[in-house]
Amino acid sequence: MENLVFGQSAPLTMGVELELQLVNTRDCDLTRGASDLLAVVERKPHPGEIKPEITESMLEMSTSIHTRHDELLVELRQIRDVVLAAADRLNIGVAGGGAHPFQHWSERQIFENPRFKRLSDLYGYLAKQFTIFGQHVHIGCPSGDEALYLMHAMSRYVPHFIALSAASPYYQGVDTAFDSSRLNSVFAFPLSGRAPFQRRWEEFQAYFNRMQGFGIVGSVKDFYWDIRPKPEYGTIEIRVCDTPVTVERAAALAAYAQALARYLLVERPHATGEEVYDVYSYNRFQACRFGLEAEYADPHTQQKSSLREDIVATLNALTVHARELDAEEGMENIADCVNVSGNDARWMRENYAKSRSLPDLVWRQADRWRGEGR
Amino acid sequence: MSELFFLPHWPVQANVIPWYAVLLLVALLAGEAASRLRLPRILGWIIAGIALGPSSFNILDRAALNGLRGVLEIAVGLVLFELGQRLDVRWLRRNPWLLATSVLESSLAFAAIFAVLLFVGAAPLLAATAAAIGIATGPAVVLTLVKQLRAQGQVSERMLALTALNNAYAFLLWSLLFAWLHAEYRGGWLEVAGHPLYLIFGSLALAALLAAVTLALLTALGRRTDAQFVCLIALVVLAVSAATMLKVSVVLTLLAYGTLTRAFDRDRRFVSLDFGRTGQILVMLLFGITAASLDLSLLPAGAAAAAALIAARYAGKAIGVFALARPSGLSLRKASLLSLGLMPMSGVALILARETSDSYPELGPALVTVVLSAIVMLELLGPLLANFAIVHAGEVAEEA
Repeated sequence: MENLVFGQSAPLTMGVELELQLVNTRDCDLTRGASDLLAVVERKPHPGEIKPEITESMLEMSTSIHTRHDELLVELRQIRDVVLAAADRLNIGVAGGGAHPFQHWSERQIFENPRFKRLSDLYGYLAKQFTIFGQHVHIGCPSGDEALYLMHAMSRYVPHFIALSAASPYYQGVDTAFDSSRLNSVFAFPLSGRAPFQRRWEEFQAYFNRMQGFGIVGSVKDFYWDIRPKPEYGTIEIRVCDTPVTVERAAALAAYAQALARYLLVERPHATGEEVYDVYSYNRFQACRFGLEAEYADPHTQQKSSLREDIVATLNALTVHARELDAEEGMENIADCVNVSGNDARWMRENYAKSRSLPDLVWRQADRWRGEGR
Repeated sequence: MSELFFLPHWPVQANVIPWYAVLLLVALLAGEAASRLRLPRILGWIIAGIALGPSSFNILDRAALNGLRGVLEIAVGLVLFELGQRLDVRWLRRNPWLLATSVLESSLAFAAIFAVLLFVGAAPLLAATAAAIGIATGPAVVLTLVKQLRAQGQVSERMLALTALNNAYAFLLWSLLFAWLHAEYRGGWLEVAGHPLYLIFGSLALAALLAAVTLALLTALGRRTDAQFVCLIALVVLAVSAATMLKVSVVLTLLAYGTLTRAFDRDRRFVSLDFGRTGQILVMLLFGITAASLDLSLLPAGAAAAAALIAARYAGKAIGVFALARPSGLSLRKASLLSLGLMPMSGVALILARETSDSYPELGPALVTVVLSAIVMLELLGPLLANFAIVHAGEVAEEA
């Protein structure tokens, strides 16, 4: 049995992974261009990493480890610009957003790589339907036990991340009525959802070894949980966010996660127990379906409120922590999302209403990803 | 008279309609057969055309072929318009190395063919005219292959872009040289200067006008695919007729019409262009009729020189593509495939070659033999090479 050692990482460090859509510039449908793009990018020095994802129409960019929101944002912009410069040479469009609005999954091609081929054989059409685009936020934890505490404490806030990042209202050519339709595609996988409730790393390791013994998983990567520990990095990984339409929102979500982690680790505001998961699926569905207009059932106070109110209250609780972390700019972006402009799903619906054209919407997404357009 | 009035006269008198049907059916079957042998369908269509044509079984004789020619113009118009649409002006602006590649591969191909033709003893001006024709990659072959394989990737995209550009250059150069021939053999200097200028600017002006009208109509129609489809078919037919009536270049007009329609479409009113099944029928007829018109009798005499011409043309295009592969963002492996993908030569080349030889029958059959032999050889070889390039670039859709 593999010994799952929880790696060392400085507490409250953060890193971001973003999955991006590659589209053609003719009708804005997804296009197969990852290999060509990576071949060009490899020859350019750049911070962070730029990697293939499961299909040829996706690209993943990830940052190095950061402690400050402003530096994270600078690096995200740098990596974005390197990708865009390469994409411009190849006439490939790059866009954020959690799902392509009108692609047909049967058209997707699995990237040539043994792991991806194996997943494709195992999951069949699900693997191709998995052409969805998420943001993953890593938060550094001092130890395995602290990571498990943070993972369970953070699960109360999963709906926040879903509603704030939601950017996949359109899927397969229709308005799904969901703000984030992307997470519905994740649900289909057997190892998705929430992690089992364990407080101690040894317990988690025993669970992992049992699953490995069945041959169900080979590594922690095979768990598609909303939040999962990443022992190699010494982090927990929040995986429920749609890739936002802008890198600014992506950096702000990371800063929100970082401030929240500080709040949870320093103040220990809630006693965590299995009951945090009583309302988990309900809250999650509400956030996917209604975004910031969702209802929210608080597992700790047993009160029902609106998700918007809960986020505003959380932002207040985070003020002092955000100040300590120099993350106020990120919090302003989140506050603007909640109070004024709404999430990206709203932006997408408003823009679709202007032109009644989904290709046109993708075009606008690509403009905004570039840092242009409104 | 004992003749029974209700029996047909022998031989039966048929108008052109049944010939379309015969050609389509045979091409369809040959295409499916080719596809089962993992060869491109268009190769089947071409072989069907050759088999039915005057050079082989003569089922479609010269008279029948002339009758079928009407549909060719429309088919060529649709192909050129769609190819023009695939050329993204913004791409050329953002990646000027791509434009440089197209200029270089075209110039080198021209120079190489010119040298070979001089070597076989053609007069310089004639050799240059023929070499101009050789610049052009067969637009219908490239476009049809990319669409049938539902190919996406740098080899396919660049194949389309370079083909659109080298067809434009080929025509421009050919029209200049053709005008030069005019001066040498006939009229005054006004003809020499005026003719190419009229062709170029007349074609571009007509294309710009058509593009503006198209986008205005599309705005009125809204983003409905079926309405846009009918509208475009009608406009492309109109464009071909207008270009013919105004005696500007059909090739340049239609290419520029497609490109400008896309470039002017700031609000993206165009849904997406697909001439679908109607387009497919026209393209099958295009391949069949063009192939049937090929004169295989020239082949024994011209094969050796034609092979040299093809090799020189390939070398020119390959060097051009390789030289600028790195700066334009293409791996050397894909560059080698792209240069194979530029090998097809057909429809447009045949039209130009025939126009030259019709206008100047006194030019000597030697040149015509070499050029037409090369066209015949590439008619079969070109689709195979381009198909190989797209497949080995890994750009084919899995289910295609």
